Amino acid sequence: MHKIILSLLLVGCASTAAARPDIEPLARTCNGCHGVGGVSVSGPMPSIGGLPKEYLKRIMKQWKYGERNAVTMDRIVKGFSDDQLDALAEYFSKQPWVPVPQPASEAVLAKGKAAVEENCRDCHGLTGNDPDVEVPKINGQWSKYMELELLKYRSGVFKMPHRKMKQAAHDMKPEEVSATSRYFGAQGK
Amino acid sequence: MTMNNVDRRSFLKGLSAVAGASILCVPQGRAASAKAQVVVVGGGFGGASVAKYLRLLDPGIEVTLIERETRYTACPLSNEVLSDSRDIKSLQTGYERLSRRGVRFVHGEVTGIDPAGKKVSTADGQTFSYDALVVSPGVDFNYSAIVGLTPEIADTRLPHAWKAGAQTLLLKKQLAAMPDNGRFIIAVPKGPLRCPPGPYERAAQVAMYCKHHGKQKAKVLILDSNDSFSKRGLFEQAWKALYGYGPGGMIEWVSGSSGGAVEEVNADTMICRTGFDEHKADVLNVIPPHHAGKIAKTAGLVNSGVWCGVKPDNMESTVHKDVYVIGDSCIGGEIASGNAFPKSAHMANSQAKVVAASLVAKFNALPAPIPTYTNTCYSVVDHDWGFSVVHLYRVEGNQWIYVKEGSGISPVNFGVGKDAKPVPRTYRKIEAQYAAGWLNNLMADAFS
Repeated sequence: MHKIILSLLLVGCASTAAARPDIEPLARTCNGCHGVGGVSVSGPMPSIGGLPKEYLKRIMKQWKYGERNAVTMDRIVKGFSDDQLDALAEYFSKQPWVPVPQPASEAVLAKGKAAVEENCRDCHGLTGNDPDVEVPKINGQWSKYMELELLKYRSGVFKMPHRKMKQAAHDMKPEEVSATSRYFGAQGK
Repeated sequence: MTMNNVDRRSFLKGLSAVAGASILCVPQGRAASAKAQVVVVGGGFGGASVAKYLRLLDPGIEVTLIERETRYTACPLSNEVLSDSRDIKSLQTGYERLSRRGVRFVHGEVTGIDPAGKKVSTADGQTFSYDALVVSPGVDFNYSAIVGLTPEIADTRLPHAWKAGAQTLLLKKQLAAMPDNGRFIIAVPKGPLRCPPGPYERAAQVAMYCKHHGKQKAKVLILDSNDSFSKRGLFEQAWKALYGYGPGGMIEWVSGSSGGAVEEVNADTMICRTGFDEHKADVLNVIPPHHAGKIAKTAGLVNSGVWCGVKPDNMESTVHKDVYVIGDSCIGGEIASGNAFPKSAHMANSQAKVVAASLVAKFNALPAPIPTYTNTCYSVVDHDWGFSVVHLYRVEGNQWIYVKEGSGISPVNFGVGKDAKPVPRTYRKIEAQYAAGWLNNLMADAFS
């Protein structure tokens, strides 16, 4: 029995050797800010593990080619090849999405839900986990991050190419921004 | 890639679980229970990260982390403690969560390294054998470089606060007690120094405290041994806008060649002397020059100035085989072009991951992984004003290549020349928030 297992392991060894799984060491460099497996532990930084591959590819390339503004990430991605960005997108999209539900008061949740029904539901679904390949999951995403992202959409000083999202963010009343973020932040699976 | 992530992890777990397979990896003369023994010296960002990632990537490796303290106080953003905008407790952590990962934590001080016999010894007489040793002791200070400064004086009267902890709190207390029109002097040593933007962030945090605590007439004087500094354009812009910079402003900076290098201090008269001038302070924050941590020197690992040379592929010492030096004690990066690795927590964390991946591959007879080194470092100059620098290095032909396309500071202005416009405040506000998120995630990535 041990012999069989040993030969299987050796086969495993050989195939890994041929493949050079280089994306993992590269992906690990993201953990410093986005957490192991892309699960952030802190409000201002988004979780990225389990987000749709197409979404991750798109935003990283938009940052890289100056089509979208970020405050930090647009500098970082410029150092990576398109192939590396694609591989990172694929790697993180295969990690499980781990919502981190953050408690909010009933009043905030009610206010947030009403705003979501009006502004967000079409694309993100009522709880933020619409399975559309183009749409990032935001159920249990960090509310502080989402609030800052909405600030970027609403401020008018950031290049944010997604027209529908931009319109929805502009249509929100100022007091709805925080409630919307906290509503989605409170959602679990 | 033919094996996915989960498969590879179970493959490694399988390797350690199946006794018959251990002949693949267990070194000569070692019990079959562990694939390899790694000893880590120092439990800062570098040491904690390497211990964590070794266990995460291959639980068959036994990891012993030896550290003098039982609690760690992180340096990044510790300047915010001075302005009362951060509780020092938010920077403190223990090693319990690493222990839960199976890291054996030893409270002690390593006093000897025997690279031939592959063992280390501690002050209390214990010895630990290793297959690989990771040395991450941070920096120590050369107090004797400044006349009148001793470790005791730094602990009690002229704190450097360049290791976060008791001295940070002492400096905070001194700032609070400073007269309203007092003068806070920060003496910056010749680089390379730990946290290159740190002294300038500190100037801003001190000014921020003064501005909001009835000390609008206070001065923050930076006496610098260097002629320029990290994120200079960003700091000068922020100082000017927030606190006034230059003659008549709250913050003033004197470069090394204009007489900024402090050579002598007197804790009784609170006067410090440069080659040019004398300056009287109410609070005197003298940061002594640094060198690699003492144990690195004792072990003969120092071979490049006062720092430890390492190999680009995996951070192995250029002096001793199977000894790896990471964090502030090492020197690496594209040194000739002036793009050496910054001495930062994030850089140490990144180096640690390179070492962990390299050792796991080695102990499992897998091909060496391709290393990538990254750094992100935020500075906060007001509650809603932050900025960052990022660094990216890859390795080619056994050389570090600084990837300038993926490196650099937050923009100072948009556009150049007469078209230049200030970057909107929203950018600074968002980066101030990101700074807090970065610190929390980085601490979690290293210590849990």
